[in-house]
Amino acid sequence: MDDQRIASDVRLSKYNPLPRILYFDDFDEGMNGWCELVGNHTGNLDQIRPIAKDFRPPQLSSCTFFDIGTHGSVDGTYSLKLATRPLQNHSAVAIKRMTYAARGRVQFEAYISFKAEIASANASGWDGNAAPSERHFGDFTFSNDICVGESGPRWHGVVRYRNADPDGNLVQRWVRPTSLEPTTKMERMGLVPAHPRQDFFSFRPEDWAELPGGRQPLCFNETASKVNWHYIRWLFDTESLRSLEFQCNDLLMDLSDVPSLIHDEKYYGIANLLNVYFAVRTHVNVRNFLYVDSALLSVDW
Amino acid sequence: MLRRSFTAVLEKGVTFDADFETEPYEAGWAREARWFVQVLQADRGSGLVAVPQISPDGAAWCDEGSGRMSLVGSGMVSAGLLGFGSWLRLRVRLTGTRGPVTVLIHLALKE
Repeated sequence: MDDQRIASDVRLSKYNPLPRILYFDDFDEGMNGWCELVGNHTGNLDQIRPIAKDFRPPQLSSCTFFDIGTHGSVDGTYSLKLATRPLQNHSAVAIKRMTYAARGRVQFEAYISFKAEIASANASGWDGNAAPSERHFGDFTFSNDICVGESGPRWHGVVRYRNADPDGNLVQRWVRPTSLEPTTKMERMGLVPAHPRQDFFSFRPEDWAELPGGRQPLCFNETASKVNWHYIRWLFDTESLRSLEFQCNDLLMDLSDVPSLIHDEKYYGIANLLNVYFAVRTHVNVRNFLYVDSALLSVDW
Repeated sequence: MLRRSFTAVLEKGVTFDADFETEPYEAGWAREARWFVQVLQADRGSGLVAVPQISPDGAAWCDEGSGRMSLVGSGMVSAGLLGFGSWLRLRVRLTGTRGPVTVLIHLALKE
């Protein structure tokens, strides 16, 4: 789209799309095809990998809280909300499924916010500024799932914001996995363990590396019911199977030297796969929420 | 536009051996809601009672006052709700011999 048309559209002007918009999902208009990710099965729920059986249904949230009532979203009432259970290491994941008509550059953009459920905290030592609940928020993650042609190669690109560690220390860094995102096939081959609370994106906790220049405190704001929205932009290339850039607000990270993790196995039935998903994971027994006001996927073909 | 609808799966083949509540679910956009509670497997003589609950904020809950569902053994029960505010969940109590029950719980929402 030309810059003038985008600038004159009040909803699109906060985005920077590539020439062709594949989808622009404003969650004031409904779910727009975002749904719960689930592991593979043949009709028997018991076959689903334990980690991929309980990623929770996404919700259309008005960001309503006990203290202020409804907060609303960027330009309306609703956003897409992912909510974990109040169980340490539980994840919620929502996905949107497409296929590609040509290979090339793909850009995912969104306005997001993140919160931990308000939990009573020991207020001794509270300075009136720092929010105890900020330390209850673990991480949120963006991933793609790309399969080239009939049987691969298959590539999962993953970018995560790690907010806090399990001890409640703020980390506030963008990270990437250094090992493959496990699949149902890998689990059935015995390559990865089956455990319901492992990390879906990389089952070994040590298999994460900081992205270059990836430290970035975000605006949690001082109370769990104050919702500030952040712009994120992820540029990747389905021709070279590489991430190129990731931007969050005023932080731009060059990812072109980050190695891509390509699956060794062949995968059939997912020709030209172009999936994007986002996830939230709690590191303590407190519900964690990821809110998405709107999301846009654009391509250069 | 056609009336929007969305079905959420609140419990997916999970086995419970004690009373439980489903996770909070926001439904402020919906005018009507309908619970479907399926018991896929139950110990002999076991059953459940499921009571719809409502909340203004997802934290404080009370019974909605209608739609109580009860079931012994496997099968499915359903209840519809109108004018429920913004948040929904089910309070589920095991009955009979209170043995483990495996459930599949859907919440169907519609503008």
